[in-house]
Amino acid sequence: MFNKIKYLRNFAVIALLAVANVWAQQAQQGVAFVLNSNDDTMSLIDTRTYKEISRERVGREPHHVMLTPDGKSLIVGSVQSHDLMFYDPVTGKFQKRIDKIIDPYQLAFSHDRKWFVTAALALDRVDIYSADDYKLVKRIVTRSGPSHLVFSTDNRHVFVTLQHTNNIAIIDLIDQKLVATVPVGKQPAGIWITPDDKHVLVGVMGEDFVAVVDWRARKVVQRIRTGAGAHNFIPMGDRKRILVTNRAANTVSIIDMDTFKVLETFRVPGGPDCMELTADGKELWVTSRWIQKVTVIDMDTKKIKTQIPVGRSPHGIFFNHHAPRF
Amino acid sequence: MIDRMREVFTAIQAWIFEAAVQPVMFSLGLMAYAEDAYEGLGMAMVGVIEIAVLVALFKPLEAWRPVEQWAEKRAVRTDVIYTWLNRLGVLPLAIFLLLVIPVNELEIWLRMHGIVRPNIEDVMPWIERNSIGAFLIYLLLLDFVEYWVHRGQHQLNWWWALHSLHHSQRQMTFWADDRNHLLDDVITSAAVAVAALIIGVPSGQFFLIIIAGRMIESLSHANARVSFGWLGERLLVSPKFHRAHHAIGVGHEGAYRGCNFAVLFPLWDIVFRTANFQSAYEPTGIRDQLQGRDYGIGFWRQQWLGLVRLKASFRGAS
Repeated sequence: MFNKIKYLRNFAVIALLAVANVWAQQAQQGVAFVLNSNDDTMSLIDTRTYKEISRERVGREPHHVMLTPDGKSLIVGSVQSHDLMFYDPVTGKFQKRIDKIIDPYQLAFSHDRKWFVTAALALDRVDIYSADDYKLVKRIVTRSGPSHLVFSTDNRHVFVTLQHTNNIAIIDLIDQKLVATVPVGKQPAGIWITPDDKHVLVGVMGEDFVAVVDWRARKVVQRIRTGAGAHNFIPMGDRKRILVTNRAANTVSIIDMDTFKVLETFRVPGGPDCMELTADGKELWVTSRWIQKVTVIDMDTKKIKTQIPVGRSPHGIFFNHHAPRF
Repeated sequence: MIDRMREVFTAIQAWIFEAAVQPVMFSLGLMAYAEDAYEGLGMAMVGVIEIAVLVALFKPLEAWRPVEQWAEKRAVRTDVIYTWLNRLGVLPLAIFLLLVIPVNELEIWLRMHGIVRPNIEDVMPWIERNSIGAFLIYLLLLDFVEYWVHRGQHQLNWWWALHSLHHSQRQMTFWADDRNHLLDDVITSAAVAVAALIIGVPSGQFFLIIIAGRMIESLSHANARVSFGWLGERLLVSPKFHRAHHAIGVGHEGAYRGCNFAVLFPLWDIVFRTANFQSAYEPTGIRDQLQGRDYGIGFWRQQWLGLVRLKASFRGAS
């Protein structure tokens, strides 16, 4: 009798743990947010069923998304309405809007949560806001199509690609001024920093390589051939590998950040742009801009798992259960 | 059905872009403008569809109830060239390239001086979630701007020197809508672009507004005895209403130097007392053509004579 009760108790515990695990997985998964730049909308996609749940109107011409440092809000920057719209990153529920943020094409927070920096691609400036209240602290006129940005590990510098002058800008956040520009190649777009803080990687969209910049020496030290239209990055969460889209070649490459070698390149159709990788590394979600779809890649086989129709010119993408960015 | 059509359209657009446009942009170092080129290609494809729809709908309409019939149609063939240049995006692209820098500079200047573009959504938040309402409001506002631009084209001598080319068509058909002097196109596009910038028309809406506007404008130029009835004539510009605007005499003379200036909605003519609902299918053209003034038959001749008239207007001649 006692054994039977013990058996039932163990069974119940195991069953409860299994249910809890499913709940935890479900809570972890959920909604993918995709910005449709030319529709002024955001597609909310169920990441389990790959179905579009809804399409919400956001600001005018939204391009990129950014999670707030506390993880409580997802910010959508819209360049034509010059505003930021805040959403719950799990449910997609609208929270608030902050206006008079000029041309927030690309946005990022410094790691110390002090600065919120935007790159105004059309209006040629980099704006530095206080991350607490989104008040403008400094405006740096670049006259060169500032596009994407990333911070140094110590938060002292922000690196910005300048699409129209083929350079990257190095901005000192203490002095709040442009301290250097480094030529990297035609129309630099995406930018990332290696975990050791030594090199900045730049997707050179007008060519077929990723430029490796020794930012302290202020020069390109290597060119990694990935594919035509090297564009944007997302790290794979292991502090070693990073993915880059090659927009004109319709491929994605995996780069080893220690050796700067291309480990693998696989096909992703339709002008691959921004990416999001699941925390388990099994699925890569890519916005395919020209075909108005999100392409989901099975990372075991590197084949297309499914494609989800969204709005016109899908660009920024985010889901909460993504691989660590470091 | 609409989703399926959109899907096919996108697939063709992406295929043409990746096969023909993007490689050229890449080799020319213009990848920073890839999105603009992709949108431009979409506009050109829409233009081709528009022309097919125009021919399918308005050709039979003109054959069914023609106002006039002509044996020689060379003048109409020139209008066909204007239409193709416009709808394929050749002229809009040239105008865009001319205007993109000054319009962008204006936007930067406004921002740097703390002038934030008024958002209609701020005044009427409900339209943010109502795309049809937003579309109609923007359409109405831009039509208001176009009404006053059109008044200027008739009122100012130098501008009339250019715009008179549009009115000189004595064989008016649905092809005549795009028959304009290139300089006139640049000026009107600049005016509408600045207005769109100030009003803040969203890019997605702007695309639809242009398409809707072009279809109605083509219809209003049709060589067809078509009236929309007492109420309809007051709601939307019809072939009958717009023909009065092109009529010899009444279309370009009088206190306002013409009548029925509205492009889409006669409302503006009613409000500003320039509406004429009396005129009935008069011959089109300009009075001085009856005395032999030449406005040209071929494309280049028409453009050249427009410049000659412009120069003369600055010297005080008409």
